[in-house]
Amino acid sequence: MTGWLDGKTVQLIGEDPAIAAALEEAGAILVQEGESDCLVHIARAPAPKLAHHITHGEWRAAMHAGLDDRFEAAKLFNEAARSAQRGGAILFVGTPEQQAGADQAAAAGALGNLTKSIAVEWARDGVRVNTILTNENGPALGRMAAYLLSDYAAYVTGAVMGIGLND
Amino acid sequence: MGLAMAIAFAQGGAAVGVMGRSIERAEEGASKIAALGVPVHATSCDVRDPDQITQAFNATEAAIGPVSLLANNAGANFPVLTENMSMNAWNAVTRIAIDGTFLCSAEFARRREKAGRGGAIINNSAQYIWTGFPGDAHSAAAKTAQATMTRKLAEDWAPLGIRVNAVAAGFFPHESSTSGNGAEAISPLQNMIPAGRTGQTYEFGWLSALLCSPLMEGLTGQVILQDGGESLRRSLMMPDFVPPREREDGPWGWK
Repeated sequence: MTGWLDGKTVQLIGEDPAIAAALEEAGAILVQEGESDCLVHIARAPAPKLAHHITHGEWRAAMHAGLDDRFEAAKLFNEAARSAQRGGAILFVGTPEQQAGADQAAAAGALGNLTKSIAVEWARDGVRVNTILTNENGPALGRMAAYLLSDYAAYVTGAVMGIGLND
Repeated sequence: MGLAMAIAFAQGGAAVGVMGRSIERAEEGASKIAALGVPVHATSCDVRDPDQITQAFNATEAAIGPVSLLANNAGANFPVLTENMSMNAWNAVTRIAIDGTFLCSAEFARRREKAGRGGAIINNSAQYIWTGFPGDAHSAAAKTAQATMTRKLAEDWAPLGIRVNAVAAGFFPHESSTSGNGAEAISPLQNMIPAGRTGQTYEFGWLSALLCSPLMEGLTGQVILQDGGESLRRSLMMPDFVPPREREDGPWGWK
């Protein structure tokens, strides 16, 4: 995948060593803030607790990281892309919907349908939006992330996918 | 939609506690339910506030006894492009539906656990939870969260004997629905729906109450689609795509 992301800037929010390594290997320039060609937002679920033991504060924190913060970042990214009259690609990465607590079930479900909604709203702006929900953190995850941000995935938008059999 | 559920529960013989943001609206609904001859209680509650929920449950249980069935209906919805959606608008729609459903359900589950008794929960979701809803992204997110948490809550609370299900509802015109209840607003919508008509709110109420009844003992974690086939239309037969930004005057527009 050498050169697939040559010259593209990627704003990376959250951490995943496999994704960071794969994007750089594909030629991307990772940036912390400012305008960029791509946005990647990574947030994994908190350790699961039974639903009636989750406090209001824990619930809110999970919803903020898994949903609200992503919505705001995507909205800001799209505003910048539209005003600059260029397209772009957004990728959300998180934990599968049913493999953590009820907080993650809610956040991931919401994120998936948000992905599909804004993918259609922004399709003709050339801004693509996709989501990977997986517990895997190996090279396949990194490479799929690189593909989805690249122009080879120009016809892929509104997709919500996993990586392995357990996703 | 909540009133339709409450009426169906009352028709099945249940005492009904109505919790609403506005006490006036809650009492208005309660008086319609009381006409069916069952015990009714109305209380005000902001479902985003866990303390208010606890107080509302206390007041309801003091008036009509332990709550053994819960119907989560609180929701808000209005069409708006994501690029014009304020964080306040996003928070209002998502937190009423997502946090509200969770907080009320968790309060209910803790009470049932303490009482050593099971129960049933029904959540009001929507037919657009699998397809996205361009031009209504906050509600698209919120309604899917209700459905996906339904499955996990059902799993977590199966050992407590609490069943949790949801109805993915299609279009059921009623007084406060965005496209109104007038014949002019409804007829173009009927033409889009394979069943040839919009839904009747009592059909939604009946299904919701049925899912909570002992007839459905053993059914849990399910999301039941009730939309007259609306979400199953063949995409190859759909008209040209109109970007949400260019359909502000349409039936689900914001003008």
